[in-house]
Amino acid sequence: MTGGRSLFAMPLVVVLLGGAILPLVILAVISFWSVDFDAFELVPGFGLASWREVLGSSTYPTLIGKSVLTGFATAGLTALAGYPVALSLLRLPKRWKSVALVVLMTPLYTGEIVRIYAWRLVLGTDGLVNGLLMGLHLVQAPLKFILFSPVATVLALVYDELPFMTLALWIAAERLDGRLAEAARDLGARPLTAFLRVTLPLTRTGLCAGALAVFALSAGDLQTPNFLGGPSGATALASIDNLFGTAFDWPTASALALALLFALTVSAALLAMAILRLGGAVRVRP
Amino acid sequence: MSLDTSPRATAGGAPILLSARGLVKRYGAHPPVVAGVDFDVAERAFTTLLGPSGCGKTTILRMIGGFERPSAGTLTLDGVVLGDRPPERRPVNTVFQSYALFPHLSVHDNVAFSLTLRQGAGDIAAKVRRALDAVHMAGFGDRFPAQLSGGQQQRVAVARAMVAEPRLLLLDEPLSALDRTMRAHLQTELKDLQRRLGIAFVYVTHDQEEAFGLSDTILVMNGGRILQADTPETVYRRPASSFVAGFIGGATLVPGHVVGVAPDRTTIGTALGTFVAPGLPALGEGMPASLVLRPDSIVLRDDGDLRAAVRHVTFIGQGYAVEAEAQGQALRFASAESPRVGSTVPLAIVGDRAYVTAAA
Repeated sequence: MTGGRSLFAMPLVVVLLGGAILPLVILAVISFWSVDFDAFELVPGFGLASWREVLGSSTYPTLIGKSVLTGFATAGLTALAGYPVALSLLRLPKRWKSVALVVLMTPLYTGEIVRIYAWRLVLGTDGLVNGLLMGLHLVQAPLKFILFSPVATVLALVYDELPFMTLALWIAAERLDGRLAEAARDLGARPLTAFLRVTLPLTRTGLCAGALAVFALSAGDLQTPNFLGGPSGATALASIDNLFGTAFDWPTASALALALLFALTVSAALLAMAILRLGGAVRVRP
Repeated sequence: MSLDTSPRATAGGAPILLSARGLVKRYGAHPPVVAGVDFDVAERAFTTLLGPSGCGKTTILRMIGGFERPSAGTLTLDGVVLGDRPPERRPVNTVFQSYALFPHLSVHDNVAFSLTLRQGAGDIAAKVRRALDAVHMAGFGDRFPAQLSGGQQQRVAVARAMVAEPRLLLLDEPLSALDRTMRAHLQTELKDLQRRLGIAFVYVTHDQEEAFGLSDTILVMNGGRILQADTPETVYRRPASSFVAGFIGGATLVPGHVVGVAPDRTTIGTALGTFVAPGLPALGEGMPASLVLRPDSIVLRDDGDLRAAVRHVTFIGQGYAVEAEAQGQALRFASAESPRVGSTVPLAIVGDRAYVTAAA
């Protein structure tokens, strides 16, 4: 480009090249190397052993799949929980909206570890949920499957990421003419139909932004599954950490990191495409 | 205002479609937006709620549509009390002020919206085509709302609302966003359409010209109350209060007191003299009142006993609009010739074209 203004983009280009692209290239190169475990040294070369290890086993693809599923589940559940909140915020008087914004962000004000231990107190064997269930005589013995299960992981992730989804939906819904939903009702749509055919398609860019943010944050979360997931808490990220650190298997770690990145990117793109198609699905022409 | 307590027929004899009794809407501790109104809407009639902004007319429309819940009172449509029925279960459709066309749907899909929600809607494509034909928008089915002009959007909004075959069509200032020429044009179209379809329209506007041009019945509102419910001619000639007379525009109001009441004739004493004219039946001797003068109630005449100084003369096509002043009272009237500005002219008041109404 000849325009002088494009020069202002240079710092960002440098940061992107140096901070993201370059490390990825290095990872890609290392993924074809091997390790001399006797000498504890990386041996440059070109071999497919680490890629065979990552893609050939059932362990790593399963972990990658779990990461994608966690991302999808969290994005879906935050959307389900976020829409009612976002839509009810629209009706607030202006000065209460700033209060709502502060309240909405509450999960972000505490550290992740603090939140995780709080969830342990809530979901644990002697926790709030079990205490309540037993107090109401709904169960005889404490339920053990809540904590240290995928349920606990996803629940905590939904709680953590909900602000991002709600905020994205809220911003999108604020730009919507409130009369549109009224017009749908006026023309005979029940509340859910009005939502599905008017509000949802018209807020789909917000939903897309929120879903991508939540997907990335939850699929890439290490601590929450680690501390709340119990035996189910193994993640591809934890494996990468292990392989780079304790195991000193940098080639396998690199291959796994790249495979995970690829899977998450493709999944995120599919998610975004699916959401953005929401509006076109209501053609009525015979 | 003539309030018929039997909900069977309006004064004009047409059967009643919608009736409101003791309708109130208040928000919190504020004074009510709608302060207890009663009115009837006749079948196939064009009824207009006319009043300044904030008078409660849109709130009444939203209560009929089911978007606001009345704080008190009832709305009865076709003999059925509407109560808490949600909008989708009322045989009523709305043309919104901003049209509220669905921006993500084509014109065709906008119009088809209500039909696709219905079991046994029949040939949707044919119904949509007929509706678009009726508003002169045939051939626009594939366009999107953003590709249409304001007037075209307004037509689509009307087509979308009427394709649902409502018993009653509600229109919330549907022409207010359009320029003057387009407004006049669509006004004629709306009136034609209403006559052809025979659907009752309830129309909200603050524009008295629009109300006069369209309505069978005008409900003049102010401060959450209906001040008068009559035909346009009656509202113009026999305004129920000074507010109604003033809001309709072009009126000269001369304050005074009633000095004599006879059948069909009320005598009012004012600073300009004593005049005899038809008057509001409720007025009694000694009550404060106003003499309502329309531009044609005042005439330039050599034997006129009012002397007025001419202040402004405006050419208005079929004559001149003259503003004159007599004893501090501004008088507006129409004249075939143009009197000289600054001159003093003799004026006479035609009692038959004047009216004595309540001061407040």
